Amino acid sequence: MTPGTDNNDLFENLRLELRRGSLVLAVLTALRKEQYGYTLRKTLAEHGMTIDEGTLYPLLRRLESQGLLASEWREEEKRNKRFYRLSPEGKAILKQLLAEWQSINLSLNKML
Amino acid sequence: MDLIDRYAKAVAKALPQDQREDIVGELSEDIRSEIEDREKELGRQLTNDEQESLLKQRGNPLIVAARYRQDHRTVSFGRQFIGPVLYPFYIKVLSFNLGLTFLVIAIIFTALAVSGQKLGFHDIVSTSLLQLFIQLVVVTIIFSVVETHLKTHPDSWHLKATGGGLALDLKTKKDAKLRVTGAMIGRRPEVSRFESVSIIVASIVAIVWLTAVQNNQFLILGPAVAFLKLAPIWHRIYFPIVLLTVAEIVRAVINLVRPDWTRFRAIWRLVVQAGGLAIVYFLVKAGNWVAVADAVANRASDYARAVVIVNECFYYALLATAILSAAMLILRIVGFIKRRRWQGGSHRVGSAAQERN
Repeated sequence: MTPGTDNNDLFENLRLELRRGSLVLAVLTALRKEQYGYTLRKTLAEHGMTIDEGTLYPLLRRLESQGLLASEWREEEKRNKRFYRLSPEGKAILKQLLAEWQSINLSLNKML
Repeated sequence: MDLIDRYAKAVAKALPQDQREDIVGELSEDIRSEIEDREKELGRQLTNDEQESLLKQRGNPLIVAARYRQDHRTVSFGRQFIGPVLYPFYIKVLSFNLGLTFLVIAIIFTALAVSGQKLGFHDIVSTSLLQLFIQLVVVTIIFSVVETHLKTHPDSWHLKATGGGLALDLKTKKDAKLRVTGAMIGRRPEVSRFESVSIIVASIVAIVWLTAVQNNQFLILGPAVAFLKLAPIWHRIYFPIVLLTVAEIVRAVINLVRPDWTRFRAIWRLVVQAGGLAIVYFLVKAGNWVAVADAVANRASDYARAVVIVNECFYYALLATAILSAAMLILRIVGFIKRRRWQGGSHRVGSAAQERN
């Protein structure tokens, strides 16, 4: 393996790590408005946060089990879809997380 | 059952029972939404090939299911032998095998104890540990081979023609496509190369084990070998069993080279299964499956009760095997006839369509 490939792999791993950390924030933000999985995926992709379904759905389940999301199955266009939205607890956590993120952003901008 | 259902079913099989319905419902909905979106973009329905490629992009159903599981345990000795994707299957197979083995050991020891034979704690422990070791090593080796294959070729998989199960494919072409039943997309169905290799390996292990048992009956009777021996019927059926096993190896080798010979496999399997049933029939008819060992022949009456009880156990086990084998053979014959009729029908429809074109 060449040093160039090593660097690329390292960058890719660090990039994924960075995005993974922001993903929860992105999902919670997008779910201030109720959506089902596929439209959520599209919303995130439209805003440059592409996420594959194998990552998104387990994450949604985890956030729901943590009480940050609420979901319900409903029929829409003759098909059963599972709609997600922020729970009251999720709203409170999102507020705190956004404040934290802004603080990190501010600090980084000062350093750059 | 359409392609999406087959894919979802393959994922479902690797999911915990309590979450299965929920996850599969959501996953199917996501796939259908994506297909609908693509169709809107293109202004037409997606072809089967396009649907296949879309499912292929989603990844191996085993890996997809593993992402939903909380349990990420592995088997590692220095390096990882079995990863979190296969771990639940590994535990299931190991538990089943060990459960069955210990049940047989328990029956034999109970029979011996009931008949008044003296059994040492050491005998029970050594037999159980030996079986535990053999099962652990064999099952771990098989699963670590599958794990290596899964890691090296994560995209090498297809949905089986029957029942929507998942099969790994030993084809290593980078552009290997998701192959589904030929009936659905007008291609010929194929025998999975993974299945063929597994049968070859399992059959060779079976022959080695059978041969070893011929010379060392401890492998099957445990410490009871001190006063029991296998009856002559087992020696008589040794070659027929080896012959059938070799026949299965030959078939698997042929299917490895020609995976498209599915009808050949179906016919061959019927012949082998009928042969197996005939062997079970002769076994049931034999009446005696164990006898008093030569070393204690002068005290045969002491062990007569043990021999009777073990033989009774063998009788009921063989009877159950015979009934199951017969039922399976009938089901296979019915399935084979149905497929032949159906393929005949679809061939006629295909010919008619070609004529129209």
